Amino acid sequence: MKKRVWFIWFLLLFSAGWAFAQDDTARYLDALERKYSALKDYTVDVKVHFDMEGFNAPDMQARLYFKPPDKMKVESKKVFFFPKEGGIFNPFVFKKEAFDIRLLEETTYDNRKAVKLKLYPKDTKKMKQSFVLILDIESHQIREFHTSSDEREVKGVIDYGKFKEFDLPTRIELHLDLPFKESFEMREFGQPAPAPQRVTGKAEISYSNYRVNSGLRDDIFESPKRKK
Amino acid sequence: MKLVWFETVKTFSRWRTYIGFSVIALIVIITEVVMRLSADEILYRMLRSLEKDFLISGNVLNGWFVTAFIMNSLHIHMPFLITLVAGDVVSSEATSGTVRLLLIRPPSRSRIITAKYITTFFYTAGLVLFLGLLCILLGLTLFGSGDLIIHHYGRFGIIYIEEAEIPIRMLFAFIAAIWSMMAVASIAFLLSTLAENSVGPIIGTMAVVVVFLVIGNFPLDFFRSLKPYLFTTYLTFWQRFLDDPIPWQQIGSSAAILGLHSILLFLIALGVYTRKDIKS
Repeated sequence: MKKRVWFIWFLLLFSAGWAFAQDDTARYLDALERKYSALKDYTVDVKVHFDMEGFNAPDMQARLYFKPPDKMKVESKKVFFFPKEGGIFNPFVFKKEAFDIRLLEETTYDNRKAVKLKLYPKDTKKMKQSFVLILDIESHQIREFHTSSDEREVKGVIDYGKFKEFDLPTRIELHLDLPFKESFEMREFGQPAPAPQRVTGKAEISYSNYRVNSGLRDDIFESPKRKK
Repeated sequence: MKLVWFETVKTFSRWRTYIGFSVIALIVIITEVVMRLSADEILYRMLRSLEKDFLISGNVLNGWFVTAFIMNSLHIHMPFLITLVAGDVVSSEATSGTVRLLLIRPPSRSRIITAKYITTFFYTAGLVLFLGLLCILLGLTLFGSGDLIIHHYGRFGIIYIEEAEIPIRMLFAFIAAIWSMMAVASIAFLLSTLAENSVGPIIGTMAVVVVFLVIGNFPLDFFRSLKPYLFTTYLTFWQRFLDDPIPWQQIGSSAAILGLHSILLFLIALGVYTRKDIKS
């Protein structure tokens, strides 16, 4: 009996501590969410420089449209490739309700107080990847992120500028390590399937000419679906 | 010059000469119309593996891409259309019984065979340029213009050629394709000087091309070691003009190897024709 009481007491103590720790770390994401809560949309010109093995392309330019929580569109007269993961600044992904949050360390970043958080998605069907964020807790900025799923890894470093009252990226440097599997359609007749391979390299994205909260209509983001 | 003109008129006044042009027109029109109608499906299949990680916008499926796609698909079939005329250009004189009449005239045999070879070149160049122009004009009309995205099979390799650069690269690619096809035409031409009818040179040339292609593509070390010695290995060197950077050295060596084949085959044909016994 005595043992059981001890066990229940210990369990209560542990779960209370865990809940407190969750709540404590969640405040960082809460602050981030509050900071961008007035951001209704933005439009920005992006320039991408790829430095990836096997990707021979000149710098590419396009206009990017974003509306929370996750509407995005890229518009370009020329053919344009843009990294999906990390290329579009979307602070609304990091909602505290969506993650189990662990504080990895308290640190400094550019001589400012920062924390390193690990975010595990609660709904793994909806979101497959986990994140590691370095958050500047003085200005509530995501300075670095690292996302990984089963096969893909993306690391990003973000530099900010002030646009209206919002801190928005002026430059994101992405380090990509992605899987590449040849689809059957890309093969010529009779060619055997090659082994899957990794695609690694860097993408530097510069952002300019922000237009924030200009009232983007939803129909801008509608694009005709391709038949499969 | 007059001889070349006569040979050209003679060749282009035969209905057989236009089989190749008709086949190409039919294939290109059907392919491009079907591609236009199933553009969504093609784009989905083409970009599926890339769209997992990249947002892709812009006109990827454009006239230039379609041209490169058709060129890639036709490089095995083009030789057959080339041989229809190149394999017939000399032997048809024997078939129709005009060879004696031709050779007792003042122009020397070497001038006659050279004129026939130049005519073969005109036909080959005409056929390749017809393919290129039709692909590009119809492609640009149906699909519009844009940057060219080339994917290399077997490894992650994306080559992005800016729209402004494409016409000159395509021009070089088509000149290279003519150069390649001249090597095939030269085989047919040589066999045509040896034969008394056109069927033999056509089938013979295709047999050589097919056997060399099969040997060159067998996934066995023995056959792989033979690959550099087969002229068919270099037939697709036109594709290198769509690489980035353009591998000029590789292009130069491929062009030289194919050029040597063409010259050598022509010289043998010249030797055979000048010694040909027309009395029996």
